[in-house]
Amino acid sequence: MGIMQTDRTLPANRLIFEVRRDAALRTRFRDDLEGLMRDYGLSAVEQKALREVDLQTLSELGVHPYFLPQVSRLFKGAGYNHNDSAAAQLYAEKMLKGK
Amino acid sequence: MATIVSINAMAHAPGATGWLDKAPKHEQDALLAGYARMGERLRATRPDVIVGIANDHLLNFPMDSIPDWCVGTADNWKGPAEWFRDWINVPEYKVAGHRELARSIVRGCGTRGVNLAFSDKLEFDDNWSVPLNFLTPDHDIPLVPIHMNCVVPPVPSPGRCIEFGRVLAAVIQAFPGDARVAIMATGGLSHDPGGQKYFDVDEVFDRWFLDMLASGDTGRVLREVTIEKMMGAGDGGTVELLAWLVAMGAAQTLVPGRGSETMFYVPSVPLRCGMGGVEWSVA
Repeated sequence: MGIMQTDRTLPANRLIFEVRRDAALRTRFRDDLEGLMRDYGLSAVEQKALREVDLQTLSELGVHPYFLPQVSRLFKGAGYNHNDSAAAQLYAEKMLKGK
Repeated sequence: MATIVSINAMAHAPGATGWLDKAPKHEQDALLAGYARMGERLRATRPDVIVGIANDHLLNFPMDSIPDWCVGTADNWKGPAEWFRDWINVPEYKVAGHRELARSIVRGCGTRGVNLAFSDKLEFDDNWSVPLNFLTPDHDIPLVPIHMNCVVPPVPSPGRCIEFGRVLAAVIQAFPGDARVAIMATGGLSHDPGGQKYFDVDEVFDRWFLDMLASGDTGRVLREVTIEKMMGAGDGGTVELLAWLVAMGAAQTLVPGRGSETMFYVPSVPLRCGMGGVEWSVA
């Protein structure tokens, strides 16, 4: 997967794009992810993948690669994002398992 | 008419400010010395304004409408965007814009066949926050930010980027008055946010790319520095080097055939990026 496989029309891409830009949406991402995903029209497969932080499936569905580590930061925090940080390790676990 | 007094390009990866202490000391020292040297050289040219070109990291343009290039036309800018503050770990800052030069770039490129979007509302992340933190820490040189699409295909081809750089230089030189203008591209080198090489750096590619720019051979760059080659060194981020090709195109307008000088290169796995910078001597 990679940037060439990005599905620009995928609702999950719109949701992630806007959540990063809007503090109120980030509160909702934390407190009401299910409602937020429904409002943005994510498919059941997208919803399951985002709910489970299944970055590999999000990638296969066409979420832009740039958003994948950002999803890990939305769940685990963005500060001090070194290779051993919780967000980076979540990314490694979900995207690079077995490597 | 305006004078282009400096052209450079450098990495902007957030680890340089966000978690630099996680890199070994020799990497930290080389990176800080490299940025410091580039900052000294930039400021020594006494620029009145910096025209910057950098990837928009899917921060300003939703996927239904992504311009190849968008010129920031506001009088004032601030950064970093809220959600990115913890990540980038630089103090909030303000920097002046230069509306008249920005508008002139939009108009001038338009009459020369390059369609540019423009906006008074651009949010900044690491693309400007990291380089400015090192090169102009007082944020006292106005900035015309040009955000570009390097990562959502279709992206501008290397040939279009070099051609845009040529046109941009000509348009800047035609700007009335006696402004001293620096051109600063940011992004790269090899890195792969969101890909399988997230924790890797492709030093072989990076050194090849730096040598390619140092050659000053535009024909060879056009033949060999393909988007596919860049994607091979880190699909999600390395293509930001398209911004460097804009700078190269500008340099070729001023000093045809002149290669760049590599100011520093640090292949840093802890920072998840090949960190480096180059300058073109345009004096």
